[in-house]
Parts: sequence; C-alpha cells; structure tokens
Amino acid sequence: MIGRIFGRAVGPTRLVLLVLPAVSIAALAPACSRDKPAAAQGPVTITVNALPPETETFERQAFLDDVKAFEAANPDIKIDAREGKMDPRTFATKLAGGQLEDVFYVYFTDPGNLIAKKQVADVTAYLKDFPATKQIRPELMKVFSGPDDKVYGLPWKNYSMGLLYNRTLFTKAGLDPNDPPKTWAGVRTAAKKIAALGNGIVGYGDYSKSNTGGWHFTAELYSLGGQMATKDGESWKAAFNDDKGKQVLQQLKDMRWTDGSMGARQLLEWADLLQMMAAGKLGMYIATSDNVPVLVTQFKGDYNDYGLSAMPDGKATLGGGEGFMFNAKSTPEKIKAGLKWVTFKYENAEHIDDQIKRESSAKLPVGLPEPAIWSGEVGKKWDDAIRQYSNVPAQNYAPFLAGTNGVQVKFEPPLAQQIYAVLDTAMAKVLTDQNADIGALLSDAEKQTNAILATVK
Amino acid sequence: MSETRSLFSDSQLRRGRARWIYLAVLTALTAVFALVFLFPMYWMVIGSLKDPAELARPVPTFFPESFHPEVYTQAWNELNVGRYFLNTALYALGGWLTQVIVDVTAAYALSKLRPALGNVVLGAMLASLLLPAAALLVPSYLTVSDVPLAHVNLLNTPWALWLPGAANAFNVYVLKQFFDQIPDELLDAARIDGAGRVRVLASIVLPLSRPVLAVVSIFAIIGMWKDFLWPLLVLQEPSTQTLSVALSRLSATGRVPLTEVMAGLVIASVPMIAAFLVFQRSILKGLTAGGLKG
Amino acid sequence: MTSGEHVTTQVRAMPSAARARRTRRASDNALAYGFMAPAIACFALFSWYPLVRGVILSFQQVNFVTDPTWVGGDNFAAIFHDPLFWTAWKNTLEFTGIALLFGYAAPFFLAVVVNEMRHFKGYFRVAVYLPVMLPPLVVVLLWQYLYDPSNGLFNALLRGVHLPESQWTQSPRTAMLSLVLVSTWANMGTATIMYLAALQNIPGELYEAAELEGASAWQRLRHVTIPQMRFILLVLLMLQIVATMQVFIEPFQLTGTTNPDTITVMVLIYRYAFTVNHDFGMAAAMSVLLFVVLGAFSAVYLRLTHDKDEPGKIESSGKAERGRTAP
Repeated sequence: MIGRIFGRAVGPTRLVLLVLPAVSIAALAPACSRDKPAAAQGPVTITVNALPPETETFERQAFLDDVKAFEAANPDIKIDAREGKMDPRTFATKLAGGQLEDVFYVYFTDPGNLIAKKQVADVTAYLKDFPATKQIRPELMKVFSGPDDKVYGLPWKNYSMGLLYNRTLFTKAGLDPNDPPKTWAGVRTAAKKIAALGNGIVGYGDYSKSNTGGWHFTAELYSLGGQMATKDGESWKAAFNDDKGKQVLQQLKDMRWTDGSMGARQLLEWADLLQMMAAGKLGMYIATSDNVPVLVTQFKGDYNDYGLSAMPDGKATLGGGEGFMFNAKSTPEKIKAGLKWVTFKYENAEHIDDQIKRESSAKLPVGLPEPAIWSGEVGKKWDDAIRQYSNVPAQNYAPFLAGTNGVQVKFEPPLAQQIYAVLDTAMAKVLTDQNADIGALLSDAEKQTNAILATVK
Repeated sequence: MSETRSLFSDSQLRRGRARWIYLAVLTALTAVFALVFLFPMYWMVIGSLKDPAELARPVPTFFPESFHPEVYTQAWNELNVGRYFLNTALYALGGWLTQVIVDVTAAYALSKLRPALGNVVLGAMLASLLLPAAALLVPSYLTVSDVPLAHVNLLNTPWALWLPGAANAFNVYVLKQFFDQIPDELLDAARIDGAGRVRVLASIVLPLSRPVLAVVSIFAIIGMWKDFLWPLLVLQEPSTQTLSVALSRLSATGRVPLTEVMAGLVIASVPMIAAFLVFQRSILKGLTAGGLKG
Repeated sequence: MTSGEHVTTQVRAMPSAARARRTRRASDNALAYGFMAPAIACFALFSWYPLVRGVILSFQQVNFVTDPTWVGGDNFAAIFHDPLFWTAWKNTLEFTGIALLFGYAAPFFLAVVVNEMRHFKGYFRVAVYLPVMLPPLVVVLLWQYLYDPSNGLFNALLRGVHLPESQWTQSPRTAMLSLVLVSTWANMGTATIMYLAALQNIPGELYEAAELEGASAWQRLRHVTIPQMRFILLVLLMLQIVATMQVFIEPFQLTGTTNPDTITVMVLIYRYAFTVNHDFGMAAAMSVLLFVVLGAFSAVYLRLTHDKDEPGKIESSGKAERGRTAP
C-alpha cells in the first residue's frame, strides 16, 4: 500500500522522503514510558515531595537520612523523593499528566478545594493502624476533613498569627520592646512614633496583593472578634460587612492617610514586608512566628531584633499551617505506605526528642512559639523537648505566648482563596486611594463573596 | 551601502548648521539609549556585586559601597549554575536544530514545491499565532505527557521543548518569504542538471539563505533561552531544569540572598547578549533580504 | 499556477502528455507533503490538537482524577456572570489602545532616526534589543524598583526637579500607563530592528527624486518612507494588536491577579486556572473566547488590507484565512 500513492508507484527516493520523517520521530522519541500498574509482589515504591533543595544542606541531608532509616525499618517500601512543595501551576498539570506524587505537601488553604474536587484520597479507614494520630489536635484534623467527617490528610506544622515587631526600632522610638501594643489603638500610636524616625522607616505595614491582603484582612477581623462567613442553615453567607469589618479598614486608612505611618509604597505581598523588616525599615506587621527564621536566614536579619506579640485586641486569631495529603489515584498499598512515611517523618510521636535535638544542634531555630500539632501526652513530650533544646531568644516571644494562651484559633473560611482575592481589592483601595469609600467597598466585597459562597456544596 | 541614501543624504548632513544638529541628535540619542536600555544591565550587575544588606536598603545606592565579586563563584557553585547553564544551552541548541530542520523543509515545500492546498496549510500554521499560550497550557501539557497515536511520554525530556517549539509559524513565514525571492531559474537549472529536490535544497537554497537563517536562529535561541512557564511545567525534574526555572525555584526556597540570584541572572543573560553582538549584522541582512519591504 | 484540482477535472479529455504532467504533479505533491510532514506533525500535535482539546475542555468540568463531566454552557455562563470578566476585557482593550499609541509609533520613529545616524549604528541596534534578551525576572525586579512610590528612582528624580510624584502602578489613573511603559520598553527592540532592516531596503533614488521635486524632510517621510514600508507596518500592526491583547507578564508580576484596575484577560485566565477558582473549564472557556475575538479581528483586518495591497502577499494570506475557517 505504501508503495502506491495516488494510484502510481512511487520511486525509492520519494518513498524514503515520505516515510523517513514519521520513522525518525518515532525512533528518536523515547521509549514508551507509560506506567503500568505495579505487580502485587515486590516492594511498593511511593513518590513523595517536600525534599529540601540543595541550598538547604542540613534539611536535605536530614531528609535523606530519614528516608534511609525508614526504608531500613520498612523493607517492603521504597521512597522516591522529589523536591517541591505546593505550586498551583505545577500541581494541576502534574495531576492531569499523572505525575502527581503519592504523598504531597499542602498548605492549610488547600484541603478545602482539593476535597471538594475529589482530587485526594480518603484515608479514614487506614488511620486505625496509626493510633498516635488520635492525639493530634482535633481542630487541625478538621482542616483535613471533608463535610462528611472523612479524613483526607494529616497536618505537619501549624501556626497562629501575631504581631511581629522590631525591638531595635521600638527602643529608638522610645517604646518599650518588652511591652508591645495590645490593642489596635496602641498599634496606631506606636506606628506613628516609629514612622517619626524618618529615613524611609514605616511604622506599620500590611499586604494588598496576590490574596495576601484578604488573608490579613481576615486575621485582623478575627482579632476584633469578627467573622468572615457564617453558616445559615445549609448555606454560607458573608459576615464581614459590619462595624468590625469597617473598623479593620478604617484603622488602616487612618494610619495610611491621616498619620502617614504606613509608607507610600503599597500593593505589597508576602516577601515585601519581610524584606523591609530585615532591612530595619519596618516597625510592625502581622505575621506568623515562622517568619522569624526566614528573616534571619534569607533576609540576613538578626534574631535579637525581633519580637513577637499576640494579635492586637486578641479576641481570636487566624491559624494556618502545612500538612500532607494523598493522591486519589494511588492504590491502597501506596496510601498505607504513604501514611507510614508521613507518620514516621512528620508526626513521629516516638522520636520527638531526637528530631528536635537534631534540629537544634544544626542551628535551625528551635523554640519559636509555634503551637504543636499534638495534644495530650504527646503534646507534653513536645513542649518539654522544645524547652530543653531551645536555641532562640525565647524571651522575645513571651508576649506572644502570654497573649495567645487560651485565645481562640479560627481557621479560614470556605473557598478562602477566592474570598481573599475579593478582599484584596478592598485592602488595596483603602491603602492607595485617599478617598476610598469603606462602606461601598465592603458592600461590594460582600456581594461578590456571597456569590462565591453560594457555590459551596 | 554608502551610495544608498535615506531621508537625508550624506552631503546634507555635513553642511554647516545641519552638521551641528546631527551631532546634537547623535549625542542625545546615544545618551538616551544608554540611560533607557543599558541602565538595567548596569543595575543588575552592580546589584549583584553589592553586599546583601546594602541591596535591601529602600533607598538604593548607585555605586556599591563594597564590592563582592565572590558572589559569582558562589552562585556558580551553590546554585549549580554550571549544570543548568549546560542544560539550557543544550535545549537551545537542540531546539534551534529542530526548528531549522522542521521549518526550513516546510517553508521550502510551500515556497518551491507548491503542493495543492499549500495555502490552506500555511494559513492553518499562521492561525496558530493567534492562540493565546495560557489557553493551551493544560491541553498542551496533556498532549506532551501522552502524545496521541505514538503514546509516548515526553515529560522531563528535551523533546517536550523541541517538538512544540518546532511548530513555529513565524519561522515558516519568514523562511517562505525569503525562499520566494530566490529565482526559480536557479533551481530549474539545477534540476535540469539532474539534481534531486533534496540536493537543490541543500546545495543551492540553504547557502543563499544564510541571512534569514541567522534571523530564525537568533529568535529561536533567545526564545528557548528565555522561556519560563512551559519549561517549568514539562521539565520538573530538577536535574533537567533550565536556568530561569532553576533560579526561580532556588530563589524561592529562602536561603539564597538576592545578590546571588542576581549574579545567576547576569550569568544567564550573558550568552544571549554575546550571541546577538556576534550575529547582529547577519540578522539585519536576513531581515532586509527577507522581503520585508512592501 | 496550475493547481492539482484544476488538472484533475480535465483528466478525461487529456492527451497522454497532459496525463504525464498530472502524474508528475501528483508525485510532486506527495514529495512536497513529505517535506512538510515533520512540520505538519508538530503543528497538528502541539498546536491544532491542543486547541481542539481546549475547546472541548471549555464545555467540561475536570478534576483530572475521574473522567471529565460535560456541563454544556455552564463554564461560559459562569465567566459571563463574573464581574471581573467585563473589567478584564475593558482593561485589555485600554492597554492595547495605549500600547498602540506608544509602542507602535515609538519603534518606527526611533528606527527612522537611528537610520539617519552615520555613527554607532551597531551600538543603537544592540542597545534597543537588550531588553528583549533579558530574563523576565530581571525586567520585573527592575521596574518594581523604578516604580516604587517612596524609594523608587522615578519618584526620586521627580522630587529632584520639583515635579509632583506619581503613584505609578498603585493609582488607578496611572496604573495602565505604567504597565504599557514596561511592556513597550521590554518589547520594542524586535520591532525597531525589523523597521531598521526595512528602511535599509528603500532605494535612495526615491529620496533623491523627492528632494529634487522640492519635498521637505517631513514630506519625504510621509510620501516615500511610509508608503515603502507599508507592508511591514501593516503586518506588525496586526501582530502587535494580537500580541498585546494577550498581555500577561507585566500586569501579573507588577500588580498581581487581584487588582481590578489592571487585570487583563490572560491574567484572568491564569486566575481561573491556578490561583483562585482552580477551574480549568472556566479558564478554557475564557481562552476560547479570546481566540474567537482575535480570530475575528484578524479576519476583518486582513479583509480590509486585502484590496489595497499587492495581490501577491496579502491575497495569499487572505485566502489562507478563508481556508482556515473551513474546518
């Protein structure tokens, strides 16, 4: 058939020219590498991510050591470790192309939409083999649970937000670094004094870009005792368009335009405030305690400069964290193996002491006021180990611990990312437009948020 | 070239007052170009040589207070710039070769062999210039991970860059325009002498096409070198990554000072600039001869 | 130019010589397609097929775990009801308009001026093209610094000469313009180089003749230069409009995905897909819409420029346009 085209015999040269392209592409392309389902016998290989990159030498080595130790203890499991945490661009495409790891890292904001889209595996049935998980704080397990109370993942770290401030600037401005502001009114006063130092120093900074603005709005609303969304029967409704919501924006507006203590540069996102803080140009901002080591290692700050206090007004605080979930396409063997890995490395109740000691000796910060994921007996073990091996100026964080003890930790509203995006606009407008109409901004945001919440099932 | 005059002739520009205006414009233009176009390179290089704390200052300095050239060796070692550089160079070279082979043969066929429905094919190719890249991201990724008919997975191989890159309608168009200018008589003469089509392409058309090949080459190489989002998705295995992707990944991990990242970026920019410097005359000739006039 | 079809219809009446011609023609076709096979394969697999798949995706809900579900027009309804939909289109058109003002005229006039220079031509060429070669990360870092309202270079300069400062990307009035400046700076090199090449092709005699007839420099520009550059000016205009409608990097990096003053169609697509909605069906629906709009624009544009230009070049592309809409 090939030798005849259009009913005429085709000469050899012509034939080659016609066939060569197709053959060459097929020959040059790599051999078919579609994964076939693994045979039942032999070791189970699971892919995991969160392997630290080469620039984090200690953590990477610790990770690889843990892999070796795990494989030694579990000869029927092999770990294929990959770098990377959660990047929405690569996540979707990896999942689409069948490249997503069996066990993958998530932020607390992710489980909501992953569970709704059925992209993660239900691991409830397997948890009975891992009794230690019962001692994980229930509100954290709730983050990883679906509406039917089935569990889809496990937490690793969690944090709650507080006020991160520069002790050196406080002293320079005549404020007491051991007595940071406890209310928003206090924040305003302090910000004014710090901004008066001049030289491009900003008293208080806040975000308004890439969803971080909405995220901070939520944190600040919670601190005033407000709510982002409430469940009214079967449906969710926006709950921030009240005097508390207005207060959040109003106090920002006052600091920005009346006092001029927030600086002219706005539309900031996560790294921007850290950069300013590390350069000694920022007095205060709302942050999680894990910002401190980042300030020191990435932005070359000094541990002694930073203090952490509880959220101003402190009626509640916004919590967040990191954890791991399981690929919905993985086989039950892989999921079981994955759970073994996660509990071994990240929620290992037995080796708490060793892990913390190892981190401390490698000069990784131990002793930051991060709430443990554990409660009960394991939780106590954790606190003891932290206290024993702490290597940071813990007294700088005393105000945070003092103020946060017993404060309610609230987590994010449903479809948080979408709602944050909406509130980003309100934050941005208040911080860049002197004549922003707060009432109108909030009503607008409420309308959009209700439309978003209407899609929650 | 000196006979061809443009808006003003040489003699006009040498006369009295016009001469001064010319010199004034020349000086102003040189200064403006330096400010507008060269300043960023300067800023990037200077920034990389600063001490990280100095770089983080809100009010930047125009000249570093202290020089830290060791940041370049640091970047080379810690960021493993060498390997990613090699990766990117390999991808650029392979991509260039693939584009040349695929697009030249197609342009030659469309221009000289003139098959039936050739215009339809060309039109379909040109239509691809309208497709917004982000729209195709997910479907393209799915296609690359499981190529229809062949059922191969191209992810984490250079073919994921090369094959989609070869589907470059701009190249085909520019090449075809150029080939159209080559007189058919030349080719017919060769055919009468018994040369096959392939020989005609190789011995007659290609040697004449150096200018347009220079154009296609420089755009191909720069395109492959700068590309970010697509390599980010299809080359996720760290050892296969390109320089831009690797720098972005490493700088986000939190331990790398900005000065080191900038040093990496400087290293990343140098080859393209060098290539352009070397080839700029050929590129201009190629664009000129490629029938860009009305 | 005889086409295959034309010859085929006359096959019955043809003498053997013509039949031989037809055979040669057919095998010529086969040969030509052989040459084009790699290109056609690449385009088919990595350009046309993904487009079809994208269109299909716009009518589906996908989670990449279970099979996709068909949702008919739901995705399109969802994006039409999104208030940001209209904002994004408005912003994109605004951006394109301003970009044409600055980014289309500037390279041309710059090229004209540079072409008149008798010295440093190589320097000018390299300098103007430099921004094009820079990695996008560098461009973003640079312009973030320049536009910083408190510490950036631009405001520092304005302060120095006692002019009022601007909020650049942070103020709704100046945000778009600021983005256009970045985009123009980063991309004008390519157009400038092309114009330079085209300018060199203009025969000097035309200028001589015009001068002899008493034309001033400005008149020479209008009546010799521009008409001679007609083709490339029109082509680049269309390409620029099409490319600018797809603007992404500058608004995305400098003002993010949540800023209603600057969000463009492509940024919205990205937002639908990756950062807020995590819904590829919606993203695909928006992309299809963009493609249709650009396609319609190009068709109209080519039709309008069809008659006025030389039949050879534009006509063949015009026919190609019609051929494209056939499948």
